[in-house]
Amino acid sequence: MTGRPVVIGAGPNGLVCATLLARAGLRPIVLDARDRPGGAAATTAIASGFRAPAFAHSVAIRPDVASAFDLASRGVRVMYPRIPAAVHTGDGRLLAMPADVAQGADALKPFSTRDAERWPDFCATAMAIASVVTRILDAVPPSIDGPSGHDLWTLARTGRQARRLGRARFYELLRWGPMPIADLAAEWFETPALAALICSRGVLGMHAGPRSAGTAAQWLLQSAVEGHPLGLPGMTAGGPGALADALAQAAVQAGAEIRSGAAVTRIEVDERGARGVTLQDGTTLESSTVVSSADPRQTFLDLIDPVWLAPSFRQQLRNYRCRGVLAKVNLALSAMPRWTGLDGPAPEEALSGRLIVGGTPDDIERAFDCVKYGQMSPRPWLEVTMPSILDPDLAPAGAHVMSVYMQWAPYELRDGSWDDRRDELASTVIRRLAEVAPDLPSRVVAVETMTPRDLERQLGLTGGQIFHGEHALDQLYAMRPVLGWAQHRTPIAGLYLCGSGTHPGGGITGAPGAHAARVILRAMRKGNRSDRV
Amino acid sequence: MRYDAIVVGGGHNGLVAAAYLARAGRRVLVLERRHVVGGAAVTEEVFPGFRFSVCSYVVSLLRPEIIRELDLPRHGLEILPLDGTFTPMPDGNYLWRTNDHGRTFREISRHSRLDAEAYDEYGRAMVERARFVKPIIDAPPPDPWSMRPRDLGRLLFLARRFRGLGSTDRINQIQLMTMSAVDFLDQWFETDVLKATMAASGIIGTFLGVRSPGTAYVLLHHYMGEIDGVFRSWGLPRGGTGSISNAIASAAREAGAEIRTGAAVSGILVRNGRARGVVLASGEEIGADVVLSSLDPRRTFLQLVGERHLPAEFAAGVQRYRFRGSSGKVNLALDALPDFTCLPGPGPHLRGAISISPSVDYMERAFDEAKYGRFSRRPYIDIVIPSLSDPTVAPPGRHVMSCFVQYAPFHLADGSWDEQREAFGDAVVDTIAEYAPNLKDIILHRQVVTPLDLDREWGLSEGNIFQGELSLEQLFFLRPVPGWAQYRTPIDSLVMCGSATHPGGGIMGAPGRNAALMVLNR
Repeated sequence: MTGRPVVIGAGPNGLVCATLLARAGLRPIVLDARDRPGGAAATTAIASGFRAPAFAHSVAIRPDVASAFDLASRGVRVMYPRIPAAVHTGDGRLLAMPADVAQGADALKPFSTRDAERWPDFCATAMAIASVVTRILDAVPPSIDGPSGHDLWTLARTGRQARRLGRARFYELLRWGPMPIADLAAEWFETPALAALICSRGVLGMHAGPRSAGTAAQWLLQSAVEGHPLGLPGMTAGGPGALADALAQAAVQAGAEIRSGAAVTRIEVDERGARGVTLQDGTTLESSTVVSSADPRQTFLDLIDPVWLAPSFRQQLRNYRCRGVLAKVNLALSAMPRWTGLDGPAPEEALSGRLIVGGTPDDIERAFDCVKYGQMSPRPWLEVTMPSILDPDLAPAGAHVMSVYMQWAPYELRDGSWDDRRDELASTVIRRLAEVAPDLPSRVVAVETMTPRDLERQLGLTGGQIFHGEHALDQLYAMRPVLGWAQHRTPIAGLYLCGSGTHPGGGITGAPGAHAARVILRAMRKGNRSDRV
Repeated sequence: MRYDAIVVGGGHNGLVAAAYLARAGRRVLVLERRHVVGGAAVTEEVFPGFRFSVCSYVVSLLRPEIIRELDLPRHGLEILPLDGTFTPMPDGNYLWRTNDHGRTFREISRHSRLDAEAYDEYGRAMVERARFVKPIIDAPPPDPWSMRPRDLGRLLFLARRFRGLGSTDRINQIQLMTMSAVDFLDQWFETDVLKATMAASGIIGTFLGVRSPGTAYVLLHHYMGEIDGVFRSWGLPRGGTGSISNAIASAAREAGAEIRTGAAVSGILVRNGRARGVVLASGEEIGADVVLSSLDPRRTFLQLVGERHLPAEFAAGVQRYRFRGSSGKVNLALDALPDFTCLPGPGPHLRGAISISPSVDYMERAFDEAKYGRFSRRPYIDIVIPSLSDPTVAPPGRHVMSCFVQYAPFHLADGSWDEQREAFGDAVVDTIAEYAPNLKDIILHRQVVTPLDLDREWGLSEGNIFQGELSLEQLFFLRPVPGWAQYRTPIDSLVMCGSATHPGGGIMGAPGRNAALMVLNR
């Protein structure tokens, strides 16, 4: 090996990977274009006294990563709301679902006794099936051409766990994967608001609506990651930036070096494989081990000279779908708005998780329809969090910050440009919020809007795709990012991928980074750097 | 009189099953509710002198081994070539693909030179994929839960077969199983009208849009057809699709099968978990050792068998099996030929399929309406004029025109199909008339077949032409109910043999043949 390993990108995955490499004595250098590490895990000041999640508003670090990094003792406090999901119904009521299964059933009773009765069975079935998905998340996908002994062992264990589900649930696992989430929800429940909450977990970040096949797979993935069929958002005290700081601190302590403001413009390659990277300022760092947490398209199509890649491989990456659909709006609110359907004494608790705006699967589907024609949804689906409810330090006393994911906002607009339509995006979101909180517009003191273009510019997300590539059925697991190269290795010896564009995909989990580190260290122990093409 | 086997439903699958059983020496009785055999593969003289393939209207998927083994040409089956697909466009342009390679190359080049080159490559890739799938179609799917050597062996065979593919082929295969038709085609082509027309094969009979994941599979499903060993060729049976059913029926009769029409089965007799025969609407009871049902599972199990005879888990599986019919049919008797503005006159472009699929957005918008319970105001239409190739189906100088229409959702948000029938027919005629303005003046008669008609008259639940959606979670070992994909049912000696079983719908015959072979091998 020549040079210290180079890790491109200091997002959570880059930092996790670098730390694990450093702990093995490798002293990696982490290069990041932005002025501070953390990537999509960042806190931003949107107005004086108001701090909000800049991009991602919840985190779901895998338990093994959290304990390996000893995040708790580094001061990272992740809070989980008692009520993780709420949504308004068409008639102005609020369905607020507690995480606790029995309490969830109680919350459903006013809407449907049948659904209330089914809720416990649904949760049990979903979580049993998600437990198999969890095992899949926590292992590197097998090689299809030459599965190693380790691959076969992992597969056998996954298979055994799947069989332990019993016959009926085993078939459900196979059947659910390719289903549209709206159909799956309708098989169980009659309350549209509950179906909308389930659908919401299937469409986040997706170029797909609840009626599109494969959204059930995304829902299962999210259920496995967060450990609840309606999701259980992890809210970091101090905002996601606090997590980033702790990860960066762990990396440095382990012996990694983080260089911010160091944008990589080229990965240097010769016939032996990766040779290092060149930065924007022209300096070159030599290394025979380069680990990229940038998305696969950026890594291969922008950073590497095409002569080093087979045309068929480049073609596969060009076909790797990275269509951004999500926009982010942060609001600073002078006071808590009055919400429809919330008259109780402590309305805050019902809103401390994710508030979904889009009360029926059809509402969500209609919001999705627009993206197919290159239009932003006039009545978008929103996933709203108010982190200042659980963490009052984020806003002045009595005031709140609100972090909103808005879908669908197509990266490629058919009419106009995102820079011209940024304000329209913000007002569309505020208008939609006003449907359930009529006085909200008058409470807004500051707005921060990020279009899919902004996400691309600020975070380097190709196409503004928040997961570094869509979570489509043909872009998951052993096919992520492309079939044959799902094990963090690449056709270039010494070049590895460790970002969300690898298994198990996007979200602030740290799992791709941890998997990549294991693969790299195993390869180094064996002394063979990688397969060559 | 007691039979070795009774087949409920005299559609093409029921007849195929009966023919195979009779040829093996079994005493077989086929019971058909309607006055004519064929089910949805039927020719009827709806208006004097005009004979329509009322429902299913073209053929390609019929398994070649069935044609060979049942010697169908000797029983009168003759398939006339249906050459080309003509897509008129609103701007006066058109896309016209034919079997003439050079001509199609020049035609696509007119739209995009790159696409013309990719077209050949694409055709080859799809034929390869269809070849890969062929042995999967022609055998019962393995049960992944079962530990029986036979199922394990079959799974291993499939895994080996997949691993034996080159890397590009593997990727294509996985993409075809998971992607949307448009996403898949986007990888090959840039011409919108070409993609729209090709993607149309991916939505036939589904409640999905061309951009919905899962439609690439249906695209492949329609590529599995072969006529005389040529994949992806479609034809018109002389005398309409009913002549296919008649040929199969004739082969079955010759082998000794008995076929009764006008004999509606009102129940399947079950005692001690075993099917003993059937009871007819007339009250007549007929005994048999085996009962094969070519009806869909909802009709077979919930109506004819009854839930009380079924394990709860199986009954739940049947109940959630999805139909959601999305297609209708408009059959027109014409005084003359339609005259398309973009390519006037009675040319050979009228002899193939005429596809109203001018753009991907057009197709997708048609679906958007259906999602919310309206029939498409501007639908996708697949038109054929069989009388141009087969003059026997219309009086001299006159024509029959068959229009397959999507989307016509079975569940309407407002009103009933009986109320909406004429409005739907008008939408179809208006749409075609935008491209062929003389159409309205040459219509002599019009028959509108709504999804409700398909349900009531042809016994296709919710009007689904494939007896259940061809969606990923209802295919292969999941069709129709997980764990019950090998034609067997929880009722001893009751066997499924219709399109609701693997490999699914279309005039394919594979379910009937696979099921009969399963019965014979027991």
